[in-house]
Order: sequence, then C-alpha cells, then structure tokens
Amino acid sequence: MRGHVSRWLTSAVVIAVLLAFIPMGYAQQKLKVGFIYVGPIGDYGWTNAHDVARRLVEQQLPVETLYVESVPEGRVEPFIDRLVAQGAKVIFTTSFGFMDGTVAAAQRYPNVIFAHASGFKRARNLATYMADFYQVYYLNGLMAGALTKTNKVGYVGAFPIPEVKRHLDAYALGVRAVNPQATIQVRWLQDWFSPPKAKEATQALIADGVDVFAFTEDSPTVIQESAKKNLLSFAHYSPMYKFAPKQVVSGELVHWETIYLDFLRKVLAGKYSADNLQNVDYWWLLAEKAVEVGAEPGMMINPLFVSRLKAATVKTEDLGTLSVYDLVQKRIAQMSKNPVAFDPFAGPIKDRKGVLRVPAGQTLTVAELTSMEWAASGVVGPWPGEP
Amino acid sequence: MGVVDWILGVLVRGMALGTPLLWGALGEIYAERAGVVNLGVEGMMILGAFFAFAAAQVTGHPGLGLLVAAVIGGMAALLHAFVSVTLRANQFVSGLALSMLGLGLAGLLGRGWEGFPLSNPLPELSILPPLGVLLAVALWALLYHTRWGIILRTVGESPAAADAMGIDVALVRYLAVVFGGMLAGVAGGFLSVAYRPSWTEGMTGGIGWIVVALAIFASWDPLRAIGAALLFGTLFHLSFRLQAWIPPEPLQMMPFAFTILVLAIAARWGARAWQAPAALGLPYLRGER
Repeated sequence: MRGHVSRWLTSAVVIAVLLAFIPMGYAQQKLKVGFIYVGPIGDYGWTNAHDVARRLVEQQLPVETLYVESVPEGRVEPFIDRLVAQGAKVIFTTSFGFMDGTVAAAQRYPNVIFAHASGFKRARNLATYMADFYQVYYLNGLMAGALTKTNKVGYVGAFPIPEVKRHLDAYALGVRAVNPQATIQVRWLQDWFSPPKAKEATQALIADGVDVFAFTEDSPTVIQESAKKNLLSFAHYSPMYKFAPKQVVSGELVHWETIYLDFLRKVLAGKYSADNLQNVDYWWLLAEKAVEVGAEPGMMINPLFVSRLKAATVKTEDLGTLSVYDLVQKRIAQMSKNPVAFDPFAGPIKDRKGVLRVPAGQTLTVAELTSMEWAASGVVGPWPGEP
Repeated sequence: MGVVDWILGVLVRGMALGTPLLWGALGEIYAERAGVVNLGVEGMMILGAFFAFAAAQVTGHPGLGLLVAAVIGGMAALLHAFVSVTLRANQFVSGLALSMLGLGLAGLLGRGWEGFPLSNPLPELSILPPLGVLLAVALWALLYHTRWGIILRTVGESPAAADAMGIDVALVRYLAVVFGGMLAGVAGGFLSVAYRPSWTEGMTGGIGWIVVALAIFASWDPLRAIGAALLFGTLFHLSFRLQAWIPPEPLQMMPFAFTILVLAIAARWGARAWQAPAALGLPYLRGER
C-alpha cells in the first residue's frame, strides 16, 4: 500500500514538474523586444510616452519586452549588446542621439531587427520611425490665435533644432491664419527637461504680455506657472489637462503604440525581417492616429473654451468664413485622410525675413520638414541658426 | 512698464529661485564651516523634494511636507557624516555618491507620483523667503557672536586645537552636516510644494550644484549668502528675460564663473576672513597632522 502511494506521489510530482515547464517553454518562444530610453521612464514626457506604449504592446501582442532607461546618448552600444545577450530579437532605440550607435550595432548583429526613432539612417535590418506633431501644433495655433487678447502668444522651446523649429513654425502659421496681428514670442531653454528653466522662461514671457502658452519641455511647468495668472496654455506630449483644468485649452498627445504594434505585427507575420528594412520609414501623423489633438485622451478641446472658439470667426481661402471651432474640426478631418487634403506647410509661405520658403502650390517633403531652420513670419525672439 | 517696475519684477523672480538657493547654501555653509564639504546637496534636495511632495499630497499639509523633507535631508546627510567623519573617507567622493544615490532613490520611489499636481500647494512667496532671511541673520549671529559659533569655526579651522580644548570634533561635525542636510531637504521641499507644486524625477535640475557654488561665493558667510542667492536667482531669471538680446548660456554660467573669480581673488589678495576654513575637506584623526 505504502509503495503504491509513493509511486502515485512520484508520478504526480513528475506531472506537476512537467506542467510547470510548459508555460516556461512557451515563454521562451515569445519574441523578445528591447527598448532603449534616453530618459527615466518617470519623466512624464518623451520616455514616459514610449514606456506607456511598450506596456500596451506587451498586453496586446504575444511578445516579451525588456527595457533600459536613462541611457546616455553616444553610449548606446553596450546597452544594445546587453539586450542582444538577453535574447532580444527586435530593438527599438528611442532617441535621435542613438543613431550612429544603432547603425554600428545593426552591422554587428545582422540577424537582429533594429528600429530607430527620429533618425534618418537606415539599413537592411534597421528601420526608422517618428510620430510627428506639426499638424497638431498648427491646430493648437488656430485656437491660440483666436483666444489671445493681448495678440501675443508664447512658445517655450527646448532646443533650437529642426524638430522644434518645425513645430514652432506650424504653431505660428496656425496662429497667423486666424489672427494676422498676433506675434509668437519665443524663449529657448537649451534643455529637454528643466522645470526651473521652464518656469523662469514662462515668467519672462508673462512679463512681456503673453497670454497664451505652448511649449516643448518634458514637464507641466509652463502650464502650472501660467495658470497661476489665469493664462491659457496647450499641453505637450503627456495628458496634462489635470494640472490646470480651467486654463488648458488643448494640446498634443502621442500614441507610439500605433507604430510599435504595426511594426511588431509585421515582424510576427514575417513581413519584416532583418533583410528588408532598408526603405521602412514610419512618418506617422494624425491620419495614422499616431498623434492626437488634446490635453487628455478623448478630449480634443476643453469644453470651457468651445463657446469662445465658436464665437470667433475667420476667413479662409478654401472654406470661406466660418468659426474657429469649425475650422479646427474641418482641418482635422482634412488631415485625417490619407493622403491628406490639407497641409499646414502648403505654399506660398514666406519666412520672417521675407524669403519665399514654400512656393505656391507646393508642400514640403519629409526631408525638408526634418531639416527646417527658417522662422515663420510673426515669430519674435532669438532664433539660433536662422538662415 | 516703468524701469522701477521692471527691476522690481526681476528681483521678485530672483527671490523666488533665490529662496531654495539660500536655504541650501546656509546648510552647506554650516557643514563646511565645521570642515566637511558635502557635494550631496543635489541628492539631499531631490529626496527632500520627493518626500515633501508625497507627505503634502497624502496629508494635505504642505508645511508638514517641509518638515518631513527636513528629516529626510538630515537622514541623508547623516550617511555622509558617517562615511566622511567616522570612516574618514574622501568627503568629495562620498558627497558625489550621495548626490547620485539621492537622484536614483528619489526617482525610484517617485514612480507613480509623477503626473499629478499638488492638491494644496504653498504660495511661492509666502513664508519661506522671509524665514530664510531671518535664518541667515540668526545663523550669522550664532557663527560670529556666540561660543557655539567659535566652537564650530574652530573645528573647521583647526580640529586639533578644538580637540585639545576638549571639544568633541566628530560630534560637532555630525551636528553641522546633519543640520546642513535638513536645510537642503527644506530647500528641495520648497521646489515641490511651492516653486513648482508637483513631482517629476530629476526636478531639482542642478540647483544643488549652484548651492555648492553659492556657499563658496558667499565666502562661507550666512549674511553674504542672502545677497548671493538673490544675485544668482536674478541672473537665472535674466537669462530668459534678456534672451532677445543676450544668449542664455553666458548668464546661466555666471554663478559658476563668479565663484571661480571669487576663489581666485580670495586666494590671491583676500583677507583671511574670505578664505575657506583651513581644515575644509580634511578628515580628522587625533595625533595625525
């Protein structure tokens, strides 16, 4: 009897052990995807947005994700080595400064799939991707132009580089489309993240009479600071509505997961491999739902400002006279089509020095957008590197 | 807007950022007067900032947050005191380590606290700016006009002499460093409950390093620290105010440039009173010279 029990126990243990191994075996077959971040995942900006997307990817696809945060630009290669050693078969490097390190690693690991955010160098196993805001900044600009009472809107910029200049120019074009008298006052931080700098830049703009704010900095500082004086603002990158529910009008939100999900689905389906990424470049905008207008997901415009935007009218060449609210809705609809029916950078556009930058009847190519250095007319303030 | 209004406006902004600079610098001045450099100000400040925010958010009392920040800053400084006074390790290395530890730890603990405004913030220009000035005056009087001040300065100038007088050098240094940490904690707390009432990882943004420079720039004098903090705060604000005419970098560099200038002048022509405590940075071991 005892022998019978022990034999029964033994087989039960063996079965249990085998059962325990099944999920592990399954897990080992999951595609491992690595993410390399330039900042901490708690930055409430760029890196945080990528990490939110990473978690959504892990929920929705049969993949396992790994990540490394706060990786210094220029030192990305050892971290790629580590992820490869841990079994990553797909690696996303999420900062412009990781570009050359990613290119070198892609040559060293020809069987690993790489994708680099915001860069322009590709290889057979290295794709590029970007979710860009310029259309959304234009829409924010339309609203800002209608809401300013002092005819001075402000922009707190991180670095004077093409990406930020493109967004600033799009914002300025939006403001001027509604309010040709308005100026766009600029201050630069020379930092992606610096609450003290963002705060003093906001104060400096307030002192100059600015009453509506937009910005590129990875914290809600500009919103909090301008709200103290009951001045309006547009959120940047993360849901920041709750930092000033009475003053935040709208903003820009990113959905990196749309790109990650699409890319990884194609990898899982075998459509993308380490051999055919030479021409894979995601430049995703409103139409692809990689970006969203609003300061909180699902809330395009703070309801507090809808009546003011409906009361303000604007004359346009293509749509006649209509309210700013309707104009925003129409432009969103036009830009949500693929191909788009409207582009903020449709010519003729002259820069603030009077030089024709976009001829009539033309729009800018992605390459021209990503190398933009000129300042739109209406922009007031320093502009390092102005051609 | 008149010139007077313009200047007043700029000075008010200088005072806003000058406040955490002053509080932090007063603490650093006391620690260094006792002979202990603490380069961990940035770390103590960010820990203070996080715990002040968390305590203020949970209890609804920003004042309580500042108190918690003081305790946390003091505890972080206690670690530095243990390593640099008791273990007599290199003060500079220990302080740098404390800065990195503080930044990392606050970032880790702060996960999940970012992205929310503080529900009940302290007005920026309320209690802490005037209190900082009063504290500076009190600490100045204590340093130069009391027996305690003589003891503190003796420990920083000549610990062997202090030891011979029967003063417990290690105890004085511990007390000075921990007091310094408490003030750094409050300075950090000011950032998260008043200056910008919310929590974000790395939100001190290098202010702790300006504090270290400020203690030197003020030549370790609490009264001079008031003017120095106002000057540094004003320069920082002006780097944005004057951006249309002057690029921001030179103005933001100014605090550090001034500090180097003051160090050079003090070393070359300065009176004794302008120079660093003689035993600054040196661990003390009885019988060793």
